[in-house]
Amino acid sequence: MRVGIPRTLSYFTFYPLWKPFFETLGAEVIVSPESNKELLDDGVRNTVTDACVPIKLFHGHVAALIDKVDILFMPRLVSLDGKSTLCPKFLGLPDMVKYSIAGLPEIIENRLDLKKGKMELYRFLYGIGRRFTANRLKIMHAIYRAKYNFANYRKLLFKGLTPVEAFACLEGGQEPSVQLIDGALKLAVVGYPYNLYDNFISIGLLTKLRRYGVQVVTPEMVPDKEMKRLSKKLRKNLFWYYSNQVVWAAIYYLEDKNLDGIIHLTAFGCGPDSMTNKIIELECKAKKVPFITVSIDEHTGEAGVETRVEAFVDLIKRKKGMV
Amino acid sequence: MQAYLGVDVGSVSTNLVVINEDGKVLVDIYLRTAGQPIKVVQEGMRQVAEAVKDKKIEICGVGATGSARTLTGVIVGADTVKNEITAHAVAASHLVPDVQTVLEIGGQDSKIILLRDGVVVDFAMNTVCAAGTGSFLDHQAARLNIPIEEFGALALQSTNPVRIAGRCSVFAESDMIHKQQMGHPTPDIVAGLCDALVRNYLNNVGKGKEILPPVVFQGGVAANVGIRAAFEKELGLEIYIPEYFAVMGAIGAALLAKEATKEKQKTNFRGFAVSTTDYQASSFECKGCPNHCEIVNISADGQLLARWGGRCGKWDTVQQMKTG
Repeated sequence: MRVGIPRTLSYFTFYPLWKPFFETLGAEVIVSPESNKELLDDGVRNTVTDACVPIKLFHGHVAALIDKVDILFMPRLVSLDGKSTLCPKFLGLPDMVKYSIAGLPEIIENRLDLKKGKMELYRFLYGIGRRFTANRLKIMHAIYRAKYNFANYRKLLFKGLTPVEAFACLEGGQEPSVQLIDGALKLAVVGYPYNLYDNFISIGLLTKLRRYGVQVVTPEMVPDKEMKRLSKKLRKNLFWYYSNQVVWAAIYYLEDKNLDGIIHLTAFGCGPDSMTNKIIELECKAKKVPFITVSIDEHTGEAGVETRVEAFVDLIKRKKGMV
Repeated sequence: MQAYLGVDVGSVSTNLVVINEDGKVLVDIYLRTAGQPIKVVQEGMRQVAEAVKDKKIEICGVGATGSARTLTGVIVGADTVKNEITAHAVAASHLVPDVQTVLEIGGQDSKIILLRDGVVVDFAMNTVCAAGTGSFLDHQAARLNIPIEEFGALALQSTNPVRIAGRCSVFAESDMIHKQQMGHPTPDIVAGLCDALVRNYLNNVGKGKEILPPVVFQGGVAANVGIRAAFEKELGLEIYIPEYFAVMGAIGAALLAKEATKEKQKTNFRGFAVSTTDYQASSFECKGCPNHCEIVNISADGQLLARWGGRCGKWDTVQQMKTG
């Protein structure tokens, strides 16, 4: 059986968990192609008008998988930490897609809600496993392998690799060494993984910064222990999982005296980000750390992002007397 | 005399300046881009050549900035190609050394730059919205049949500015039409628009920023006395408009060129002959992958100079060869 996984949204967080899980169950995993203009155009055509660009892109990725898979993996992710929930669009994702795109194959839309208890992840995976096999041991084995691979993946992230680099590494590629150049600017780029690590939708933001010789750190690289500590620091946390991650990561990096600035990448029209963005801005202000918001949408024009990011880097360099 | 050329090609205007070693402006030229960046740069170069003809001036460095900076850089042979925010900040702190706030409103974008002790500490640029930029003022002036040069003076005649929604240029326009049909006098509507634009600028671009004096107001819109008055009213501060407010980006580019050539001791300047060279721009859609990038070719006298627009490196070879 061929299982299709769209290469966006939770893909960047969980792919190393899903992949060995399905493969151990004997399925073939097929991932949609890397985001591109055609995919996005397709997504825009198929999505309700008010959605943000990541959701539109998700529809495009689903559409690209239609004829290539027997079953589509599109779980309803509700809570990943037992406290916060994901953005409402994640909660309604399977429904939104089902009523927007015709001719879909069978869908795995099991609900993952860790508010129901720690065993919920096992119940969730077991429930999916039953669709592939009646062999209980086989499912348990798949869960074990998935969790093992996922743990390795997280370790790579904490070493400073981006998810995409870590994926390549887990597939047998060589581990890229994260070298620190002496005196390089250190910028925290915060935002949701599906925007940050998708080179198309971020208009190559991370690549660009590295080309300017900037050391880039992101929320995915912050250790769990630190996230947990910071989750108790704010007077009140946000309702949304990814938004909390972004805010905590920003605060974590602001504790670093060597940090030169923070870039917040946000999708135009993102509701949760109206809060996230303001909180980060205020935190940066209090610490007197340069801050900039880069907003992305369906446009493919690089000029806006290029100008802002280049100016941001330039002005920090001038400030530090590096020019 | 050693001199440096700065070229700023924006959406609405194209500016060229020549400065001397001390950063003093020798020549300043302001032209309308009118959708023809290549032609207007050539025309500007012709005018610069004309102005420096009898003075013993040697161009030792060239800087390009503005939204057409890459294109301009190739045409004139720039030593440095920098974004307009950096250029504006450099120019403002050079001409007004103790400046703390720079308000800049250009044709299609607006920005605020905060400096403390000559160092940029913060800046912001308008996001995706055109409300509160020069081209919107242009458009409204044309609609009301008022020459843009008289727009500001007309606003000053107003005794009772009307309230106009400045958040969005579409709403602002319907608001203005409504007020005009209700019988409000034109100066009141124009003054209302100036207030709205300033309000929008301060709420969006200047959101949460600490605006301290001296405040410098530059960019093409600084020519509009109505906007200046609205800023002074809203901020309660005196607004300083530099002599060369309209060409500050170009001054910054020239200063950056001076910096850039100091190290390498030579310039890439292609000479004033570029004004007569035949530049051709052509484009095509690459079918290599589903991204369908629009690739632009720039050639001079039939020879390919530069190519850009691709997301992958496939078409970049010419550009890399040129820049080393």
